[in-house]
Amino acid sequence: MPLVNFTAREITCKLVYYGPGRCGKTTNLQYIHGRVPEARRGRMVSLATQSDRTLFFDFLPIELGVISGFTTRFQLYTVPGQVYYNATRRLVLQGADGVVFVVDSQARRFDENIESFQNLQENLLEQGVDVRQLPVVLQYNKQDLPSDLILSPPELDDAFNFRSVPSLPADALHGTGVFETLKALSTVVLQRLATRAPTL
Amino acid sequence: MTDSFASFVADPATQAAMSAVRQLADGPRMAYLLVLVGQRGAGKSHLLRAVRDRLTTAVPPRSVELVALGRLTDLVHNRGLTDAGAALRDRLLRADVVLFDDLDAAERQVPVQAFLYDVIESRIGAGLATVAATGKSLGGMPNLDSRLGRRLRDGTTLELGRPSAATIATILSRKIADVGGAVHPGLAAALAAVGLRSVKEYLGALQRILAVQGATPTPIAPDDALALLGLEPQTPPPAPAVVAPVPESPANSSATEFDAFLTEVVANVSQQFDRWRGRIRETIAHWQAQGIRTRRLEQALLSDAGGDPEPLVAAFGHDASELQRLVAEARIIAPDLAGAEVLRDPDQLAGARHLVLEARARRAPLSAPLPDLTLARLGVGPSNRVALETIAGVIAEPGVRSNPLVLIGPSGVGKTHLLHALGNALVGRGVGPVACLSAHSLLGELANLKSAEEVAQWRARYQWVAALLIDDVHLIAHEPRCQAELLNVYEALFDGARPLAFTSARPLSELGGFDPRLLTRLEGGTVVDVAPPDREVRLAIVKAMLAETPAAGDIGLLDYLAGRPADSVRSVHGVVQRVLAEALAERAVPSTAFAREILEAVETKSSQRDRGPVAPSSGIQSPGMGIVRSREKMILTWPTADDRLLTEFP
Repeated sequence: MPLVNFTAREITCKLVYYGPGRCGKTTNLQYIHGRVPEARRGRMVSLATQSDRTLFFDFLPIELGVISGFTTRFQLYTVPGQVYYNATRRLVLQGADGVVFVVDSQARRFDENIESFQNLQENLLEQGVDVRQLPVVLQYNKQDLPSDLILSPPELDDAFNFRSVPSLPADALHGTGVFETLKALSTVVLQRLATRAPTL
Repeated sequence: MTDSFASFVADPATQAAMSAVRQLADGPRMAYLLVLVGQRGAGKSHLLRAVRDRLTTAVPPRSVELVALGRLTDLVHNRGLTDAGAALRDRLLRADVVLFDDLDAAERQVPVQAFLYDVIESRIGAGLATVAATGKSLGGMPNLDSRLGRRLRDGTTLELGRPSAATIATILSRKIADVGGAVHPGLAAALAAVGLRSVKEYLGALQRILAVQGATPTPIAPDDALALLGLEPQTPPPAPAVVAPVPESPANSSATEFDAFLTEVVANVSQQFDRWRGRIRETIAHWQAQGIRTRRLEQALLSDAGGDPEPLVAAFGHDASELQRLVAEARIIAPDLAGAEVLRDPDQLAGARHLVLEARARRAPLSAPLPDLTLARLGVGPSNRVALETIAGVIAEPGVRSNPLVLIGPSGVGKTHLLHALGNALVGRGVGPVACLSAHSLLGELANLKSAEEVAQWRARYQWVAALLIDDVHLIAHEPRCQAELLNVYEALFDGARPLAFTSARPLSELGGFDPRLLTRLEGGTVVDVAPPDREVRLAIVKAMLAETPAAGDIGLLDYLAGRPADSVRSVHGVVQRVLAEALAERAVPSTAFAREILEAVETKSSQRDRGPVAPSSGIQSPGMGIVRSREKMILTWPTADDRLLTEFP
């Protein structure tokens, strides 16, 4: 998917929330959905199982209006976190302009986070995407839980942030760090507009 | 301090615009051009005043100009733009932020639109923020100047939608509270439910009701108040959604969270595109100021190519610079071409090159290399093999390898032939016009230049050659003017990676009376020694010279002539030419004996002249040193009769 369509004068950014099951990806989108003015958001499409686990993916389009002559819109997706939905994850990941990797800060979920992070890298590699070039932001969710249950941001940085990408603590349920994460990713994604090869 | 932002009643329909202008007022990181679009009474003017108030009361205060274009249009109508325009333009270009209100008022005012375009363009070029508010959408103003419209569309457009009835009720409630007095509590809600077109109309209606209320001791019932204005009561809106001034940065406020995000995105996108556009515009202004057409850049600007502007700017700059060089040359060699369109448009660079090439051709021809002195006619041997290999390198990569080339050797060793052969090869390679002349000619040309114009023409003539080959450069020693001019030409050619070659009969280290700048440049090149011709070279020269004569196949003659001692190519030429001339005069076929007779008789006479009276001898002389194979003795002269007497033995 092109980031900038000069013919239609549109900028469309596809941002994907990735992470293990129940880490808070859909919660992020729900919080954003609740904060975006109605006129600027599309319908949030969510396909969930009876136990509220994402079955396929969540999709939230946001219209940001005309900026510098370009109609700008963001499309936010989540992937299903469960291991057996890898085909869906690959599908959703296709053409992503940026990825938020949501880490479940609970210490007992550490291995699942690692597994999901490796799965993200494998899926990107399979699609021929250079992980080093794709904008990625790490969100350390559930930081509101008791400190003896969770790993601190520096500990999680040691495990996940070996590329020194932006990382933010969050409590998606109450909204802490949700927009900050989105802002951080959008900044990195939009800065890539300047490095795009000229079309002339 | 409370300013107009605090009194602006936010609404989802106006929140984004308010957030963007507040960001502009609070910090520098914002789009350079914001366009607020909203119907009359949507709050555009309120926001512009809020920006002005906040910036002018900031510490340190910033200069802000708020211009109502309706008033500017009246001013132009009454006095013309020329009176007030220059001073106003100056003021607007100096201000930190300029706010244009009622842009749609200028829709039919062509001079005002041109003025606006000029100001906005200049401010963007200077990286200064501008905000324009319009009651009509940009697409809804067909009479807007296309350039201005395009420029505004390139900015960040933020729409102020119609506020909800609840928001209008809040605005009216605040107004009632400001005025004070006893007013029915349901009045604001009832009035807000009526379908008026804008907030201004609501406020106007409220003013009229309040005026009547002022004369009435008891609060007027909402329905009665509406009846006073001839309005039908409608169902009142629910309780106002926004009842307090919008907080600046409350935690977890939904509007603020999204607005902060939106502002960040707007700033990022605008920054990227404005930087690109700014760079391209800056380049356009730079080249247009120099009279260069910038169609390519303008088209790029129209298409919003985006990305890194530098490759585009560099490519255009390269073409434009070459065009300027061509124009500079044309101005000297063909002033009549100066106005040609192709000499102003980098997109027609090929045409410009062709035009100037034609002009060069019409001018006095350059001193070209002598056509006879080619590499094919050059005798090759150990004495000149290094020089030839170096020359081959120059021909393969002119201007890149061995630049400059300096051939050093005593007079007559073949330096001139090598130089002209190089020139001919370069011409054959199609590098362009090659100037090949002796330093003596160079001195002569410069001595004949009388006026500054002639000097300029001379410089232009040589600065544009594809290669410059100077023979006997040692002759310009103690000629400072010639050296200075040669240095200028040298620099122009060297910078343009065009080949330079020189010959000198004296080693560079022994050259006196030379400008050190020129001398060090020559020493910095490839300096090659050319030795006197060896036997192989002499044989090749003789063969070449006899090739077209009846003696072409006479191996003895070839061997004899090549074996003659010679310290220069020129002397080999002289020997062969002498034999051929004598043979022609005597109508004889040149042969070894004939050559010996001619050459050695001359030598004998010459040596006799040198020695004085002839000493008695047998008359039998040894052949010259050059004869290698023949050991025969020849009797050439019998000086005295006594010498002929042989002792007879019984």
